[in-house]
Amino acid sequence: MKNRQPAYQAEPANAPRSAGSPLATTAGTLRKRLPLTVAAVGALLVLTACGGAVHADSAQGPSRAPVSGGTLVYATGDTEPACLDPIVSGNVPQALVSTQYLEPLFFQDENGEVGPWLAKSWKWSKDRLALDITVRQDVHFTDGQQLNAETIIRNVAYIKDPKTLSSTGILAVEKVASVEKISEFTARLHLSEPDNALLEHFAQVWVPIQSQKALARGAEANCLSPVGTGPFKVESWSKQQEVVLTRNDDYHTPAPTAGHSGPAYMEKIIWRFLPDHAARFAALQSGEVDVIDVLQPQNAVAAKADPALDTLIGSRPGHVVNLTLNTTEDPFNDVRVREAFVRSVDVDAALKSIFMSTVPRSNSVLSSITKFNRQNPDAYSTDVDKANRLLDEAGWTARDSEGYRTKDGQRLSTTAIQTEAVLVPVSVFEQFQHSAKAVGFELVINQEEPASFNAKRYAWDYGISPLYYTKNSPSVLNIVYDSAHIPSVIKGGYHANNNGLTGPAADAIDQALRLAATTGSEKERGELYAKAQQLIDKQYLSLPIFDQQTRLGFRSDVEGVRLLSPLGMPTFYDTWLDRS
Amino acid sequence: MSTPTHLTKTITDPEEAMTHSIQTPVLDRSPERRGPAEPRPRTRASLVSQAKELFTGLGPGIIVPLVLMLGLVAAAAIPAALAPSGPLDMNPAEAFTAPGTAHWFGTDESGRDVFSRVIHGARSSLLIGVLATVIGLGTAVVLGALAGLGTRAVDFGVSRFLEVLFAFPGLLLALLVITILGPGVVTTTIAVGLSAAPGYARMIRSQVLSVRRSGYVEASIVQGKSRAFIVRHHILPNVAAPLFVLATLGVGQAIVWASSLSFLGLGATPPDPEWGSMLSLGRLYIGNAWWLTFFPGLFIVLSAATTTLLGHGIQRKLKDK
Repeated sequence: MKNRQPAYQAEPANAPRSAGSPLATTAGTLRKRLPLTVAAVGALLVLTACGGAVHADSAQGPSRAPVSGGTLVYATGDTEPACLDPIVSGNVPQALVSTQYLEPLFFQDENGEVGPWLAKSWKWSKDRLALDITVRQDVHFTDGQQLNAETIIRNVAYIKDPKTLSSTGILAVEKVASVEKISEFTARLHLSEPDNALLEHFAQVWVPIQSQKALARGAEANCLSPVGTGPFKVESWSKQQEVVLTRNDDYHTPAPTAGHSGPAYMEKIIWRFLPDHAARFAALQSGEVDVIDVLQPQNAVAAKADPALDTLIGSRPGHVVNLTLNTTEDPFNDVRVREAFVRSVDVDAALKSIFMSTVPRSNSVLSSITKFNRQNPDAYSTDVDKANRLLDEAGWTARDSEGYRTKDGQRLSTTAIQTEAVLVPVSVFEQFQHSAKAVGFELVINQEEPASFNAKRYAWDYGISPLYYTKNSPSVLNIVYDSAHIPSVIKGGYHANNNGLTGPAADAIDQALRLAATTGSEKERGELYAKAQQLIDKQYLSLPIFDQQTRLGFRSDVEGVRLLSPLGMPTFYDTWLDRS
Repeated sequence: MSTPTHLTKTITDPEEAMTHSIQTPVLDRSPERRGPAEPRPRTRASLVSQAKELFTGLGPGIIVPLVLMLGLVAAAAIPAALAPSGPLDMNPAEAFTAPGTAHWFGTDESGRDVFSRVIHGARSSLLIGVLATVIGLGTAVVLGALAGLGTRAVDFGVSRFLEVLFAFPGLLLALLVITILGPGVVTTTIAVGLSAAPGYARMIRSQVLSVRRSGYVEASIVQGKSRAFIVRHHILPNVAAPLFVLATLGVGQAIVWASSLSFLGLGATPPDPEWGSMLSLGRLYIGNAWWLTFFPGLFIVLSAATTTLLGHGIQRKLKDK
C-alpha cells in the first residue's frame, strides 16, 4: 500500500488552488503505470500536453484579475436527469449539475482525507455506533432557511423515506438507524453497526444537505428546484433543453480547495443537454457553447491541436469501467473460462487505437483515485497461450466448422450487451470479438437501447455487461461484489452485484469485504480491502478497462475550470470569462 | 412474347398512347435485337461492330451507369477477388491510417482496411436494395392488380388502405415495421420493401386501369377471351415495362433507405461491413479521419445514383422510340 501512496497523493484533478495541478496530478497518476503499458505512454504525453494547456490558462491568470459577470453555456453529453435533486435515484448526470447548487456536510480531499465543509466538526462515540455532527452556524440556504441540527434530521428522513425513491443516498445512510437533536447545531447519528465509510458518504453530492423548508414541499417540487447552499441556484428547467442556474449572491461556503471566496464570478450558467457527441463538439468549436463534457477521445485529440480549445480530464472514484462476467450460467460459471476470456483480449491495443491513447488502462477494480486501489497488471494482461491452455483444461478441446471451441457439442460462446451510455463503444467489443475468436471463443455483440440494456441486465440475460459505479470510497466493493447484493432490490429490478458469484469463493470475498467495512483501524481497513481485491482478481469476475473520467473540453478563454474532489465533478465557482 | 402490337394503334386517349409508347417497344424489339434469325440489313456485320452499334445505340446515359453497376455487381459477387484483405481482418496497431498505397481508402479505428470493407459491403447493400424492391413490387403488384381489376368495392378498400399507408413517410413506416419485427438485416429488407410498396401499388393500379380500358382489351373481351388470358396477355405485359423502370429506380432508393436504417443502428449488426453502419461509426471521427465517412458515403451515393440513372436512361430510351 505504502509504495502507491505517493502516486495517490499526487492524484486527482481537483486541487483547484493551483490551476495547473489538475492535469499535472493526473499525469502523476499515470506515472506509476508508465512502465506497464504503451498506451499509458501515449496518454501521459497527451494528458501532460493538456495539462500544459490548462497551465497556460493559469499563467495568464495572475496578469488579469478575474472578471465578474456573464453567462457560461455548458453542454452535457450525459443524459438529462429525471430529477434535479440527486437524492432521488442518484446518478452521475445529477451529480454533474447539482455540484453547482448543492453541498454536502464534509469535504474529502484528493488524498481521501475527510474534513469539514457545511459541518464544523464531528465526534465518534467509543463504540463507533454514534456520530455527533456540529454544523456551521452562519449558513443559510438560498430560500433563507438556516442550517441547523434539524436540517440533518430532515435530510436523513427524506433519504430514508421509501417514497423518495433514493438508490444511491439510501445505501449511503443504510447504517444510520436514527438521528437525534443534541443542541441547536449538533445532531447525533445512531448507527445499527459501525460504518467506517460514513463520513465519506456524507462527502458525496448524492447525500447533500438541502433546506428542510424546501424538502417539506415534497419530491415533485423539490425535483424541479432543489434548494441548497451552493454558489448557484436553480432558476428554471426547460425539460429536454436546458437548466438555468443563477448566482447565489450571498454565497460564503466555498470548498476548502476553492480559488477565491465570496460569490461566484459567473452570473449565470445555462446547462444544456446535447447528447450527440459530434454535434456537441461542433457547438464547442463554433463557440456556441463554452464547456462540454463527455469529450470523446478523438475530439480530445482535435481540441489539443486547436489553440481556441482546452481540455480537462480527470478520473472519478469507484468501480472502474469494466466488463462484468455473469457467473450464473455457461460458460462463465468456470473460473478458467473467465480467465481465458480476460487473457484472450487486448485492452491496451483497444485503448491505443479506438481511444487514441487518451484514456489510461486500469488494472484494478477500484479507480486509481480511490483509496486502497490495488493495481494488478499481472492478473489482467493479455496472454493468448495461457487462454488456450485454460480452455483446454476446462474441456473445450473440440472445434467446430467455424473454428470455435466446443464441449459436448456445445459451442464456446457468450453474449455481450452494449449501450452507448456505458462508455464502452461497440468498436471495443468488435476488437475483443476478433481476439476472442483467435482462441476459439465466440463473442456475440448485442447493441441495446438504454432501456433494453437495463432490462437484460436486471434479468441476468447476458454473458458480459459493461458497467461502472461511481463512489468516493473503497466501500464501493461492498456494493458491487458482496453476494448479498445479487438479489434485486425490487423483484425483477436493479441488482448491484452483476457477477452473481456464489459458493466458497464468494463467501471469502464477502467476509473480507464485511470486515473491511466495519473495522475501526484504517490500517486494517486497507489490508482487508487489499485482500478482498486479491480475491476478486483471482476469480476474474470482471475485466477492468479504464477509470471513469470527467472529460471536459472548453473554450480557452474560459478561466478557472476545476474538478471538485471527491467525485471529480466540474465546478464553476472559480470560473470566469476572459473576453474583454 | 407476342404482344398484339397492331392493337395498340387503336389507342386514342393521349395519356394511354404515352404509356403505350413507353412500354411496347421494349417488348417488341428486344427479342428482335438479339435474334440473329431476324432478317435485318446489318446481319452480316461482325460481332464487334454489332456490339459497338448496340453500345452507341444505348447512349452514355445508360452505358456509364451500366459500367458502374457492373463494377458494383462484381464487388458483390466476388469481393474476395477484388479486396486486398478480409472485411473483419484487424490490426489495431494500424488504426486510423490515412488513404495511401498500402490502404487505398485508409483504415478504421481497429485498423481494418476501409477499401476491403466497402467492397465487401456492396453485397449486403445491393442484396438489400434488390430484395427490398422485389418485396415492395411484389406486394404492390398484388395490391395494384387487386384494386385495378377488382370490383368497385375492392378498389375502394385497397385504395383507402394505401392512402392510410401514405400518411406515413416511407422511412417512418420502415421504422414502424422494425419496431414490430426487431432490428436486423432481414427485417430491414422487409421494412424497406413494405414501405416502398404503397407508392408502387398506386402507380400499378392506374396502369392496370388504363390498360383495362384500352381498345385491345375490349377487343379481347369481344373475342370472348377469358379473364386469365387477358391478365396474362395484355395487362401484365403492359404493366411489366414501367415496372422494370420503377424497379431500377427503386433499388437506388432502397439502398439509401437501408443504409439510413443501418446508420440508425437498426440494420446490419457489428462487425458486418455495411455502408450505412460504417458511415454511422465514421461520423464520430469525422474531424480526425474523413475517409471513414467519405468512402462508404461515396459508395452509397454511387450505387443509388447508378441505379437511378440507369432507370432514367432506360425510361428515356423507351420514350424516344
